[in-house]
Amino acid sequence: MKFDLRNNKDFLAGLLFILIGGLAVVIARDYPMGSAMRMGPGYFPTILGSILCLFGVYVMVRGIVSGERVKGEWGWKPLALIALSIVLFGFLIDRLGMIPALVAMFFVSAFAGREFRFKEVLLLAVLMSAFAAGVFVYGLKLPYPLFGSF
Amino acid sequence: MDILNNLVFGFTVAFSLQNLAYCFIGVLLGTLIGVLPGIGPLVTIAMLFPITFNLPAVPALIMLAGIYYGAQYGGSTTSILVNLPGETASAVTCLDGYQMARQGRAGPALAIAAIASFFAGCVGTLLIALAGPPLAEWALLFGAAEYFSLMLMGLTAAAVLTHGDMVKGFAMVVLGLLIGIVGTDVNSGMARYSFGVPELTDGVGFTVVAVGLFAVAEIVVNLELKEAREVFTSKITGLMPTGKDLKDSSWPMVRGTAVGAFFGVLPGTGPALSSFATYLLEKKIARDPSRFGEGAIEGVAAPEAANNAAAQTAFIPMLTLGIPASATMALMLGAMTIQGIVPGPQVMISNPDLFWGLIASMWIGNLMLVILNLPLVGVWVRLLRVPYRWLFPSIIMFSSLGNFSVNNSPVDVYLCAVVGVLGYILVKLECEPAPLLLGYVLGPLMEEYVRRALLISRGDPTVFFTRPISLAFMIATLLILVVMIAPAVRKKREEAH
Amino acid sequence: MSWRGQIPALVAAALLGAAQPAAAQVSASSAGYPGKPIRFIVPFPVGGIADIFARVIGQKFNDAWGQPVIVENRTGAGGNIAAEIVAKSAPDGYTLVMGSIGTHAVNVSLFSKLPYDPVKDFAPAALVIEADGLLVLHPSVPAKSVKELIALARTRPGQLSYASAGNGTASHLSGELFKSMAKVDMVHVPYKGNVPAITDLIGGQTSLLFATMPTVLPHVQAGRLKALAVTGSRRSPATPELPTIAEAALPGYEVTNWIGVFAPAATPREIIGKLNGEIIRIMQLPEIQARLANEGAKFVPKTPDEFSAFVKSEIAKWAKVIKESGARVD
Repeated sequence: MKFDLRNNKDFLAGLLFILIGGLAVVIARDYPMGSAMRMGPGYFPTILGSILCLFGVYVMVRGIVSGERVKGEWGWKPLALIALSIVLFGFLIDRLGMIPALVAMFFVSAFAGREFRFKEVLLLAVLMSAFAAGVFVYGLKLPYPLFGSF
Repeated sequence: MDILNNLVFGFTVAFSLQNLAYCFIGVLLGTLIGVLPGIGPLVTIAMLFPITFNLPAVPALIMLAGIYYGAQYGGSTTSILVNLPGETASAVTCLDGYQMARQGRAGPALAIAAIASFFAGCVGTLLIALAGPPLAEWALLFGAAEYFSLMLMGLTAAAVLTHGDMVKGFAMVVLGLLIGIVGTDVNSGMARYSFGVPELTDGVGFTVVAVGLFAVAEIVVNLELKEAREVFTSKITGLMPTGKDLKDSSWPMVRGTAVGAFFGVLPGTGPALSSFATYLLEKKIARDPSRFGEGAIEGVAAPEAANNAAAQTAFIPMLTLGIPASATMALMLGAMTIQGIVPGPQVMISNPDLFWGLIASMWIGNLMLVILNLPLVGVWVRLLRVPYRWLFPSIIMFSSLGNFSVNNSPVDVYLCAVVGVLGYILVKLECEPAPLLLGYVLGPLMEEYVRRALLISRGDPTVFFTRPISLAFMIATLLILVVMIAPAVRKKREEAH
Repeated sequence: MSWRGQIPALVAAALLGAAQPAAAQVSASSAGYPGKPIRFIVPFPVGGIADIFARVIGQKFNDAWGQPVIVENRTGAGGNIAAEIVAKSAPDGYTLVMGSIGTHAVNVSLFSKLPYDPVKDFAPAALVIEADGLLVLHPSVPAKSVKELIALARTRPGQLSYASAGNGTASHLSGELFKSMAKVDMVHVPYKGNVPAITDLIGGQTSLLFATMPTVLPHVQAGRLKALAVTGSRRSPATPELPTIAEAALPGYEVTNWIGVFAPAATPREIIGKLNGEIIRIMQLPEIQARLANEGAKFVPKTPDEFSAFVKSEIAKWAKVIKESGARVD
């Protein structure tokens, strides 16, 4: 399976470094470079981006040579659900208030788990939201509305 | 014995009912904000600053100082329990502390963290009393070139010595430096890598990076398998460290304290470098370095000692020279000036009650912290018996609320999801997040120092090699590289033959 | 939107047993001002003089009006970031900035592109303090007077370096003005605020610094730094033995640092008036006056209109200086 690049861990790591490093260098072209004595805001990031690209190339080539695969499976589903639950929380807390945001977060993130028991998640969401409301809103007096927008 | 008299005098000051009470409030508050992700000691002290106007100088400073070193105690708790560093300095504690918790040894890990912190706190306090002024003088020898070389050494060591392979370690450091640069350039005022998002002109917050890289990525790793896997073993072996644990941790604690005290005195390195440095040192000299990252108790004891020792010795430049080492110290200095005390070397003579009382109170505060934290160990450990399917959404809840509370900005929450995705991918590709975090913390500082060093030297890069202290760090950096690369190259050759 | 750091204060208030008023509902009318917490943005790092006075004023506002004042430090870009935030905030008196000679007089000429207009975007509320700077040297620099310093700088062009608290600060401008009037060449090394600049000067990393008096005086008294002169038009009561730079060597040299409170333009006049009156009351309290005298700073009460005229005159003065000196942002 030497040429299965899609699951080649070093190839992918190298690719990621090259992409990020390259992006950093390209964007930094808009910033003044200055000189070594008076470095402009573009100097340091350009150097860093280039170094990252070099490391990326090395890691990538090494990956092609060794062909080592990523260990285990990719957990795309839990990753997407967890990320979604966090985004949902940020999106809702401003608009619907803290409690709806937390309940939504609990339900979406619980789907990422192996078993999903509706009653259990509901109970957990209610209990933890109440706890969070107690600690953050009543205890610490954070100005977050429990329900409703800011 | 002059020092003895002074210390006795300090204790009589610190033992007044009022001072004890403020010391307690300080350390309690410190522990609390240390445990909660998001809020750090700087923000807390800035907010409490006005309250201190109405207090006499001594209790005011005792309380503010308590918050500062108390936060170092609290920061390790979430690192060990859920792989979420509460403060910058406790990021390293995640590496082995969390593994210990998974092996049912959260109790000993938490206890050793508290004990190491206490030990280091006591030594640090004593150092202020005994050697404050000469240490502060020595710290003044460090200019931009020295700091840059020191940080280069720290980053090299971090890249080389953490878990996985070296080249990826370096790449992660550089990636961290780049993330650290996001935001407004201090010299020119230019917003870099902000992609038109106004919130990004302030940079990516520490909590965002720490939560995304450590907590979120770890949760997804635990959930990726279709069949159930035990995240925390149900077999919990003892709440307190065994005799062997204590024996194993005693020297790392001493070394951690020494390293931490060294970095603490230097204004301008921040607490993160000290805990990384001592962790790497322990790993280098360990008989079996492979245990590190798998739950080695030395990997908890040494960095926890280091960050607390650093928190104590950071007071040295402020108290003896009137030079604050960090923004937090600058605020405390401000609290002193507001009270009409002129900061500087004469404080020891003009306000002995403040100087010696504060030192004595630090020792008392450390004692309070250990008394406060050891009984809590049992409570924390019980938390881990909660089924993981309940635990992980709750961790996400606290992390997200913590992220949101820093700026009340949903953008921070979104960013955390992005960093979490990146963090998970990096973990899967076997890239260690710890060097990235160190790079992220040091990135803006390194840039500032290298630019300043070259400005002062009129663009002459040999400045890093002609100044003796800087040269020493550069040589050390090279040695680290040679020592680490040589065996790898030899191995490669043998394989080729 | 930002409530940065409310939490610890409130926890502490609870722990200390103090009553903390809960955040009240939004009301933009000036009659009930202030009806909710005020956000007070400081363009400088914590612990500096602008920061400390912002916190003192914030606390006194709170004592008088029962509404907390949240001080936020937004440093960087010579204070432009902080000023821009306030320029673009709602003109309701709930977002204020501690402006300075940098953000509201110098930067408009110094930076090629300023994201705000220091006159059109702001309603000046009150001048807070005026303070002289102090020219200090590392003791190893062989000059005992301003004249000797100038002579030294001429024999070693480009070799002396002067530190500053950052681009566009009074300390930077003092250096640029000095360079252009004395016709010498020195390298400018910007720092993030006075404190790190002083630390490096004490360590001998740079040669000299024009510093704000209160932060640097203790080090002069301890003999770690050598003071040559003050930057104001008159000798300072805190250091009567030191000449002004004008009388020592460069007639006409004068830099006086100042800070003042600004609200966004179009803030109701009654709110501006209320802020002005309260700040004048606070600054004339005996305990504040005593502190100012110790530190070579002074407070001259100015109405909002007088302050506004003052700002305009400062802008004109610095535009001329910057043009003549060719100062630029590094």
